[in-house]
Amino acid sequence: MGCGTEPGKRNEMTETKEQLVAWLRDHTDAGNAPDTLEADCRNAVYLMDHAEISVTEANTFFIRITLGAAARTPIELRFAAFQDEAAKEGFGPGIRRRAYTGYYDFGHTATEWETVISLGVSGLRNRLSERLSLPGNDKKSIRFYTETLKVFDAAFSFMLRAADLFENEGKTEAAAGLRALTLRAPETLFEALQTVLVYYSLQQYFDGTILRTLGRPDRYLYPFYKKEDPEKAFSLLKAFMTEIDSIRADANMPIALGGSDVSGNDLFNDLSFALLKAYQESPNAHIKLHILWTKQTPDRILFEAFRGIRDGANSIVFMNDRRVIEAVEYVGASKEDATDYHVVGCYECGAAGEVTSSCTSRVNLPKVIEATLNDGCDMETGERIGLPVTGTFDTFEAFYEEFRKQLFYFVQCAARITDLRERHYAALHTAPVLSAVYRSSVEAGRDIYVDHAAKYNNSSLNAVGLATAVDSLAAIRKLVYEDRTLTVPDLAEILKNDWAGEETLRLTVKNRFPKFGNGDETVDRIAQRIVNDLAEAVDGRPNAKGGVYRLGLFSIDWRWRFGEFAAASADGRHKGEPLSQNTSAVFGMDREGATAHLRSVASLDTVKTPNGTIVDIDLHSSAVEGEAGLQALVGALKTYFELGGFAVHYNVLNTETLRDAKAHPEDYPNLQVRLCGWNVLFNTLSEKEKDEFIRRSEKG
Amino acid sequence: MTDMETKELAGIISGIKRMEIHDGSGIRTTVFFKGCSLKCVWCHNPESISYLPSLAFFREKCVQCGICRSVCTYDAIRFDASDERIDRTKCALCMECASHCPATALKAFGEKYTVDGLYEKVIEDLPFFESTGGGVTLSGGECLTQPGFAVAFAKKLFENGISADVDTCGAVPRETFERILPYTDTFLYDVKAVDPDVHQRCTGRSNEQILENLRFLDEAGAKIEVRYPLVVGWNDGECEKIAELLSGLSSVTGVKVLRYHNLAASRYEALGMENTLPEPKTTDEDVERARGVFERHGIRTFR
Repeated sequence: MGCGTEPGKRNEMTETKEQLVAWLRDHTDAGNAPDTLEADCRNAVYLMDHAEISVTEANTFFIRITLGAAARTPIELRFAAFQDEAAKEGFGPGIRRRAYTGYYDFGHTATEWETVISLGVSGLRNRLSERLSLPGNDKKSIRFYTETLKVFDAAFSFMLRAADLFENEGKTEAAAGLRALTLRAPETLFEALQTVLVYYSLQQYFDGTILRTLGRPDRYLYPFYKKEDPEKAFSLLKAFMTEIDSIRADANMPIALGGSDVSGNDLFNDLSFALLKAYQESPNAHIKLHILWTKQTPDRILFEAFRGIRDGANSIVFMNDRRVIEAVEYVGASKEDATDYHVVGCYECGAAGEVTSSCTSRVNLPKVIEATLNDGCDMETGERIGLPVTGTFDTFEAFYEEFRKQLFYFVQCAARITDLRERHYAALHTAPVLSAVYRSSVEAGRDIYVDHAAKYNNSSLNAVGLATAVDSLAAIRKLVYEDRTLTVPDLAEILKNDWAGEETLRLTVKNRFPKFGNGDETVDRIAQRIVNDLAEAVDGRPNAKGGVYRLGLFSIDWRWRFGEFAAASADGRHKGEPLSQNTSAVFGMDREGATAHLRSVASLDTVKTPNGTIVDIDLHSSAVEGEAGLQALVGALKTYFELGGFAVHYNVLNTETLRDAKAHPEDYPNLQVRLCGWNVLFNTLSEKEKDEFIRRSEKG
Repeated sequence: MTDMETKELAGIISGIKRMEIHDGSGIRTTVFFKGCSLKCVWCHNPESISYLPSLAFFREKCVQCGICRSVCTYDAIRFDASDERIDRTKCALCMECASHCPATALKAFGEKYTVDGLYEKVIEDLPFFESTGGGVTLSGGECLTQPGFAVAFAKKLFENGISADVDTCGAVPRETFERILPYTDTFLYDVKAVDPDVHQRCTGRSNEQILENLRFLDEAGAKIEVRYPLVVGWNDGECEKIAELLSGLSSVTGVKVLRYHNLAASRYEALGMENTLPEPKTTDEDVERARGVFERHGIRTFR
């Protein structure tokens, strides 16, 4: 049916919601992958036909989409059939107590934007129909091409519907652009930007896969940018930023600038500058910008970026390009694919041609110590979450060895739980719009999720609470083995009782013991060791999709949720308090200042953490004022990267401003802070979180 | 000085601060020497005034655990109705209490360092110095009131190619400047007043020696950045005179006008010192006005 349809004309009968839901129910059968594809394509077509569309002030290129009552078949419904598998294998207590977790993840991926822009939506469709007409297709690929073509045809109708709406609103350039794009590839900067928004929306709303990066627009838009008048181009870029911000993507939409080519040449160009400027001059609370730094990156762009950060109007992550490439190669990507990596989320990097599945598998590091101290059981409930302890605790080495055994076990549990989810991808979710771009997928006639048709099909495991765990091990070493103040059972008892009656000891440990994040090698070595052990357990471990696991060391907002279920820890932390954030020192424990903090984090072997590490540096605005302040920020950044750092982000906080913003939120509608993996408007934080930021700012 | 003598030298340091950007060029590590030859009413580092170790008590941090009393052998810890914890008439500054206080409510200022020990500590940030043209700043207190140690430390930095700036009030014998001059990158030189009476009132001492030393450094061709702490009600009338003085000098690269604040009040209290801090009446506009005066005299000002 699909292959014979002219682009822009579609004869398919639309069905009612009831008919669709009944049909989907009958065709959403665990284990029947072709049905999943057909059901998802049919669902996508239905959504395109029924989604509400509107044009707001922010819509220059494409319309605003509201799915409303149309809705999509929830993946959760399909997953219900497998929901209890992990519990049946005995992982219930570990999952419930947040010792380790695993889930499926259909976000954290990138499309191949170069392909999207060079072929356009119509060219992508033509590629599919050409493939379908080739001899030698098997039944599965015929089905893939045919079903996906239906989605594209619905997309053309949808674009024409949008064009009509723009026409009615008097926005003729957008209307003409959309009509042209159903027939040919983009030819102007306007049409290229329009193509990005159209394709992003098709993926986001109709594939139902969240958080797709916009990749590296300073590369794929450059040929169009060069042809455009600079002033017109800049106003288009601003309109573009405004429009993508208005989508309000979950956890912000990533855009990366710079990076390098395979010969090591820096890729910053005049478009990178224009994009940074457009970003800074537009509403940007829902966009996150990654600056991919190389040794040749012009200082000017760093100065511009820091100027914005210091004004508190935006938030930018700096990534060490060389280090990221090494890390992505470390888990098996070719040099070319590693160099063309994409940042698919907060800090996660995937090779070109990779559907990166991140952020699902997690291990709670302080909980590993809890299990070590308590014979493999949760301190609160007594449930078994780890292995029974078999060794002795005679020396710190023996203690660490026992910790390491539990650590490997926790990793194994998290990976197994994830595998139990990921092995059902064939029954859970397809992504026709995204698959149509992936070269490997189109050539094979297979879906990237159902058939794992991407070139790399990796999974990621994040270890949460590194600094809390490091400080706890350092405290155990000092208390039990150096000062001999306590035995391991004494300490376990104290922690079970949440330091009750031991406030003096708790404060001593918290305030007077050495901590990670101060450039103290005796402590930093414990961190290095944990990272190396984690890498051994995680990196390269086969997953259920024909790919491998990769290690990450960031916590995002899980530091709160994992902390809630963790017993008191030996570093002086109370039961239930949040864990350390990302790869940073425990809040307030970076007593030696930012440079020492950066040195500690840079001492970790981040080649082994392709899923990302990140340190959060809080600075008081007075510490970085003036040109000297900017120079110091740029200098500190470059030094950190020269020392081997992976990524860093800065919060420049002003106590008075934050206090005033808390008291008078109406005066600060645009004040942003970096929460965990993304920036948020200060006003949207809870009172507790606001207070934490105010305390952090006082430290500087 | 022989190597042996250098090894035995000890400096008393009240604090070390990294990633400092206001004490010279680039990213610097500032070392605060203990002891000062002046007693400025507006001093914001009161823990650095005395040459002796200082013991501070931060009441809001105290958890009343009583460990300080149990380790004190001088019966100098009080737990009574008064706000003070330390009986300073009995305290021998042994610092046992501070080294045991779990809450860090009791804090000792004044740690002994050897030249090598201090050097090892400050060069941890070497990569940051190198990438930003930064280095180490000797500050205080008045770092040159520990002349032997300051000179040996600056020399050590100099010999290892690390920039050493000297932040000074100038109230030390000229001979000390002669000794440290060869190893100093930039002098951050405080000029608080030209009028000797005003100076006396603000700092407890005449400025004769300070201005002489300034002229000496100027003639010696040292690199000098002048600091003018502006405290309205005390030395704001001196601005024009300082500008005139500086316009006659040739080695001054510029002036930084420092806006006075009274954020150190709680530290005076913690140290059991009389709080001499004036009312904070200096505004950003006052600072801008003062900068204007210097600029009109052809003197560059730094922010």
